[in-house]
Amino acid sequence: MNKRLLTIDDEEAIQIVIKFGIKMVAGWEVLSASNGKTGIVTAQRELPDAILLDVMMPEMDGIATFKALQANPITAGIPVIFLTAKAQAAEKRQFNDLGIRGVITKPFNSLDLPDRISKILDW
Amino acid sequence: MKILLIEDDDAIVTLLTRSLSDQHHIVDAVNDGEMGWTYASTFDYGAIVLDIMLPKLDGISLCKKLRGAGYTTPILLLTSQDNATAKVQGLDAGADDYVVKPFDISELTARVRALLRRSSINPLPLLSWGDLMLNPSSCEVSYNQQPLTLTTKEYDLLELFLRDSYRVFSNDEIIDRLWSSDDYPAEATVRSHLRRLRHKLQAVGAPPDFIGTMHGRGYYLTSVQNALDATHRHVVGAIHELPLPHDCDRDNFQPIHSSQQQAAYLAFLQDTWVTTKPQCLVSLAEIEIVVDLLLLGNCNDDDRQAAHQISHKLVGTLGVFALTAAMKIARQIEILLNRSTILSSQAALSLKTYVVELGQAIATTDPSQQTDIPQPDLPLLLLIDLDPALNQSLTAIAANFSYQTIVLASIEAADRYLFSSGDRPPAAILVNFRVPQTTLGLIQNVRLRFPERLVFVLSERDDLKDRLAVIRNGGKFICTRKLNPEQIFTAAISRLAPISTTPKVMIVDDDLDWLRTVPNLLQPWGLKITTLADPQQFWDVLQSVQPDAIVLDIQMPEINGLELCQVLRSDPQWQQLPILFLSVSNDPLSQQAAFKAGADDYLCKPMMGSELADRIRHRLARLTSRDCTN
Repeated sequence: MNKRLLTIDDEEAIQIVIKFGIKMVAGWEVLSASNGKTGIVTAQRELPDAILLDVMMPEMDGIATFKALQANPITAGIPVIFLTAKAQAAEKRQFNDLGIRGVITKPFNSLDLPDRISKILDW
Repeated sequence: MKILLIEDDDAIVTLLTRSLSDQHHIVDAVNDGEMGWTYASTFDYGAIVLDIMLPKLDGISLCKKLRGAGYTTPILLLTSQDNATAKVQGLDAGADDYVVKPFDISELTARVRALLRRSSINPLPLLSWGDLMLNPSSCEVSYNQQPLTLTTKEYDLLELFLRDSYRVFSNDEIIDRLWSSDDYPAEATVRSHLRRLRHKLQAVGAPPDFIGTMHGRGYYLTSVQNALDATHRHVVGAIHELPLPHDCDRDNFQPIHSSQQQAAYLAFLQDTWVTTKPQCLVSLAEIEIVVDLLLLGNCNDDDRQAAHQISHKLVGTLGVFALTAAMKIARQIEILLNRSTILSSQAALSLKTYVVELGQAIATTDPSQQTDIPQPDLPLLLLIDLDPALNQSLTAIAANFSYQTIVLASIEAADRYLFSSGDRPPAAILVNFRVPQTTLGLIQNVRLRFPERLVFVLSERDDLKDRLAVIRNGGKFICTRKLNPEQIFTAAISRLAPISTTPKVMIVDDDLDWLRTVPNLLQPWGLKITTLADPQQFWDVLQSVQPDAIVLDIQMPEINGLELCQVLRSDPQWQQLPILFLSVSNDPLSQQAAFKAGADDYLCKPMMGSELADRIRHRLARLTSRDCTN
């Protein structure tokens, strides 16, 4: 079951590590975008199976990016998983209200990501 | 349950932390009101124990602030004023209960239990679910009246489920509730604790799915008599709205990554870290500029917010590179840079200290040094709670013998490591006997999870009771009083070597006819024989053959067998070697002399090959069995 993921994270090192881990364990294709705007364009063009979205990014943060993805009929159906350092209580409430599919907290071992994503998205 | 303790008196913090931990609570302790606010508004707690007289922000104000912001966590106030006004003021500020100092510790823990009870769905003092009973007061658990022995985490998990028995708890929720805020356990750790809890429940007759899995959502107590309607559940956080069929098998599947994958991943992290490290140092330099401005009282909110974001990013990056120690320092910086934390000059100074420490941590570590992702292939030795100097010596000695060591500061840390160690368990474990009960618990856990692994308990004290306790729990006792690190290492490693399938036996005898025939006599019984007629060459041959057992004649020219035996017994490497004497003398005095010199057995010529082989095998078997029970 080959999948295509899009990671939107302004930390290039994290993008690289995620890509390496997922590709090695599951062989999935991983596309990357380093900010919200580029991520939205990539999502429209590539229609990935899921998006891993960093919450805290400069300019357009994860929540704004998620709202923009939801507002666009082309990308609204793509499941989104937030990547965040240990989520704060207030953030959690906000995430719940938004309707995201799940949260993966940093730090994570990238080798575990395919399994965690599969569980969240019931793949 | 996780408790936040906000108290500036160190003695009370120590006392309460110990007492609450004894009651299976996880305690986060902070010593001023502002840190109390930061923690209470960041993490989930079952209850807050809050002193009124606190630096920076007093308990009453903090209580009002929390209630004003909508936090409903039960609060127990600690007050030194035993008058109605103080109590009314506290309760009006939103506290749920109060205790007057000096307090009786058992009363305080009972009040905490009562608060937890009131805030849980299950308000009864005894928690139950079907045939399962948990008594939070005595910490006893039974299923169908059969007592259950649980580890702290297993107990905590069960209590969490029982307190809110219709709820589905996600992995993150469980980690938030049951691990200290400074701990970042892997999800596999939670799964591992759950799996063992399920096994223990099943062993006393509970159904296999007593704790069910809602795939992709979390864990819950399954219906008693299947009467519970799935629609009654609410999923924590409501992230997932539609319940899906649970899938125990899927849950029990843990991603096992091969050593090659782990090794490739580690190598990749190291390579990537080379280019990431300078970026982290640049980020830290940006933070340091803001910290310096803060120290000068010259920092605006925007700069501080920006530095806070950078520190937040650093936490994530360092964590993904498995640099746990550095990540924890970055986390402290992130908390202090949060705009809602009012910084005193002292806190600003400690911020500066954290920045310097983080700089050193980033500059001097790389992913290969982290215990989270150990080096592949070399056998692992876990060194737990040992003195730093001994850790250092053992690590150096181990490296010479191609062993890798992992140093863990506490048994708690060892538990976490062991239950997330996946496909690479340690070859052996060396642990200090500092806290006997906890150490024995570790031995039991290791035996459950890795029955073939050895736990060596090191103790300065040479006490029969200690030895018995260790042996009865399946560990091995090493008294370190007269041993240097090399001897400690040898004592452990020598017992790891599996008994050779073809044991090597060295036979020393000046009877050349006997030496010519003996190999043919013994080889059919699976023994590899080396013979030696000249005792002068004994030591050289011994070192080169490294025999598993030795057979000595008594009477030999120049050096007799008794002397060789004494030489062997006086050397630590050969103290355990099985030594058999084979002699034409069958007089009691010769036998006595042989045993006095350190012999394990005494045989008389002539002797059948099968009988000699049998006696040698018997000694080897005794040695192995002694190793397994020592």
